[in-house]
Amino acid sequence: MRLLKTGLASMLLTAGLIGSHASADEYLIKNATLHTATAKGTLAQADVLVVDGKIVNVGQEISAGQKTIVIDGSGKHVTPGLINASTNIGLVEISAVSNTVDASTKLPGVSASFNISPAINFRSTLVPQNRINGLTRAIVLPRVGESIFAGQGAAIALHSSMRGLLKEKVAIFAAYGESGASKAGGSRASAMQLLDQAFSDAKYLRRNENRYLPGFQWEFSLSLADLKALYPVLDRKTPLVISAHRADDILRLIALAKKHSFKLVIAGGGEAWMVGKALADAKVPVIMDPINNLPQFESLAVRLDGAARLYQAGVKLLFTGGGSHNGHLVRQSAGNAVAYGMPAEAAIEAMTINTAEVFSLYNYGQIKPGMDADLVIWDGDPLEITSNPDAVFIQGEKQPMVSRATRLRDRYWELQDNHQQAYRQ
Amino acid sequence: MNIKRLLIPAIVGSMVGCEQQAPEKIEIEPEKPVYQSTYKPMPSQEFVITNATILVGNGERIDNGSVWVKDGKIHAVGQNLTDTAGVTVYDGEGQWVTPGLIDVHSHLGVYPSPSHEANEDGNEMTKPNTAEVWAEHAVWTQDPGFDLALAGGVTSMQVLPGSGNLIGGRGVTLKNIPSVTMQGMKFPGAPHGLKMACGENPKRFYGGKGQSPMTRMGNVAGYRAAWIKAKAYKEKWDKYYQAAEKGEETDKPEKDLQLETLAEVLRGNILIHNHCYRAEEMAIMIDIAKEFDYKISTFHHAVESYKIADLLAENDICSAMWADWWGFKHEAYDSVRENVAMVDKANACAVVHSDSAIGIQHLNQESAKAMSAGNKQGLNIQPQDAIRWTTANAAKSLGVADKVGTLENNKMADIVIWSHNPFSIYAKAEKVFIDGALAYDRKDASKKAVSDFDLGVTDPEGERL
Repeated sequence: MRLLKTGLASMLLTAGLIGSHASADEYLIKNATLHTATAKGTLAQADVLVVDGKIVNVGQEISAGQKTIVIDGSGKHVTPGLINASTNIGLVEISAVSNTVDASTKLPGVSASFNISPAINFRSTLVPQNRINGLTRAIVLPRVGESIFAGQGAAIALHSSMRGLLKEKVAIFAAYGESGASKAGGSRASAMQLLDQAFSDAKYLRRNENRYLPGFQWEFSLSLADLKALYPVLDRKTPLVISAHRADDILRLIALAKKHSFKLVIAGGGEAWMVGKALADAKVPVIMDPINNLPQFESLAVRLDGAARLYQAGVKLLFTGGGSHNGHLVRQSAGNAVAYGMPAEAAIEAMTINTAEVFSLYNYGQIKPGMDADLVIWDGDPLEITSNPDAVFIQGEKQPMVSRATRLRDRYWELQDNHQQAYRQ
Repeated sequence: MNIKRLLIPAIVGSMVGCEQQAPEKIEIEPEKPVYQSTYKPMPSQEFVITNATILVGNGERIDNGSVWVKDGKIHAVGQNLTDTAGVTVYDGEGQWVTPGLIDVHSHLGVYPSPSHEANEDGNEMTKPNTAEVWAEHAVWTQDPGFDLALAGGVTSMQVLPGSGNLIGGRGVTLKNIPSVTMQGMKFPGAPHGLKMACGENPKRFYGGKGQSPMTRMGNVAGYRAAWIKAKAYKEKWDKYYQAAEKGEETDKPEKDLQLETLAEVLRGNILIHNHCYRAEEMAIMIDIAKEFDYKISTFHHAVESYKIADLLAENDICSAMWADWWGFKHEAYDSVRENVAMVDKANACAVVHSDSAIGIQHLNQESAKAMSAGNKQGLNIQPQDAIRWTTANAAKSLGVADKVGTLENNKMADIVIWSHNPFSIYAKAEKVFIDGALAYDRKDASKKAVSDFDLGVTDPEGERL
């Protein structure tokens, strides 16, 4: 009995910790340059107070309580923890080892309904390696499998436990352009027909769902589960992220979104800058990696100042970059966007609040009271390539700056003459 | 047979009345040079860059310095250059000057943009040893990636075959100058490289087909078998030449393209560029080189060099590395961001490479990341040190250190003027000179090369960028 009781108690305690999402420690970062990602922009010599996992105060000369841990931020910069708007973090450990990759499905009848969340491995080595380099959150999208609809993505915090799963089904991802055409019989026209038909079918099914009886054969372009998965897209609750690069592909997708009244997000967007006004007018955000400037036949006009031009046109940008293993390199991509004309504050917003807004992640993405305390203290300009994090907080918890890579580095920092490094020094 | 008897010694012999017949040396007609460089520097004029921060490439930094270029060569570098009157001046105030960057690992031209199957010319994966193929025979000179790399300050690069084979073929070093022909880009006097590959790629491809190599054991057996044949082939030719020296007539051995490449390595004329991630595999490759008496120039993608940096220093082998790529294969799982810095710290030759048509445009950023990772751990790597990773050390790796890689006198005037410290994200190559000629000027459209591909492809009356 006793043993059982103890077991229960510790289980409850664990459950409590998982439930609270909060750190007991209070932190006050003093005299730092704050890149707030709010209308206030950048604040010099300012303080941030973190209590119970939240930012509770931002300003000058904030005083510390008795148990507050004070961190001197002089000469340091603070940003919200960064988010990468398109990754496979948790879905891939080693890209070429297929057993460790869960990013897509070939299962028939599972496309738009394919919810990637149960596959995410929070103990992946990618999580700490990205975390210590300033990435505290990520959008995890499935990859395209057999259908033009890849499935449903999730939003995660880079905790090494299941509580990192912030929100399932934050978006449905689909492919257009060359990739979409290849999944739709070989032509963009048939890919467009599939997208269009899926929405028509979903609407029809929804209107007539009560007529569905067991044994009754329905002929639809997608499975019933896939069509039902599109309902929240029809309700404009969930965005549909569609990959496309070519300028006229993007225009056609904007028209499709208007026809079916869904919230479209373009992913890729190599030539998006050519149709910046149309994107801005339709309020269609673009997920892009600004460093990607290699011309392909569907992105011949891609260029390094594409992000700056889209920003000028008033398009909301969400940055990605560095793939999944180095998802933190979204920062290098953003820095290049700034080098090629985008304002620095806008580039930081494209790695924080913009992505939070598009995927409806509340309480994240800005330095202001009420936000989750996802914060990074940088040793220099956060967009500068030579800057590194001094400290990383996720939901108010100060993260150990350790990853498998730092363990290897420390093991080999001083080499032994005989190449025997395997024992603890 | 291509053999001519030299008659002169016989005549001389008879003139002096020697009774004994002197041995007649047989002159062997030298091989016709093929695929020779036709590179010619573009027209240039004498100029001096003044008031700039100069990273010489040899570890030196000169503040408020000048670089004087004459006849396409570095004429003088220093703080107080005199006698420059009448020479064109580029005011480098606030700007930084470095040697042109050199990428030792590129696939531009053989895996060009746009990327698609018909353009994939880097991997002759028809058998595990294709030492007979040459990357230069497949370089598409209109790859728009060359111009993008030039805008990133890259003035030379080695274009290598891929890593699908144990022995992939010859690599070529190019000057990043637009030319319709490959020969017009070919770096004069640069030795060929030979691409070899360790590890997963060859064994996955051939093993997957039930062929050798299926394992890393098979990989090593494959290299050794190839070198044994190459050694015998070289000895056959050595004997032929020795016989000719002695005036003995022998049959000329048959030329074998594959073995000729390997023999050239054994003769010291081709440098080994060995794709190899893991430390223990590098150590095995070092032993193979000792077994067959050749030298490894550089391990490429040397993700685990930090584990054996001492061994690499001792054997004078360069490591060509990324700043932070990892995890795409199991053999790339042990990557650390401090790899480059740790190799440098061990006084081994550290090189930063791209292996990427995007990375090559930002080699300075790759070095910057590697530098800052090391410095975050307490090292004190300065810009004048880190610049060596893509200049002097890269030139050493390619066997062209006597020609490029530093701003020392009489070297080719391959120079980049940067808007900022090149290890800043905000730094852009403003002007790029190759052999003293202005090959790129960010502010002057007439000084931007436009490949045939880029012409009229997005707008019939315009250019792609």
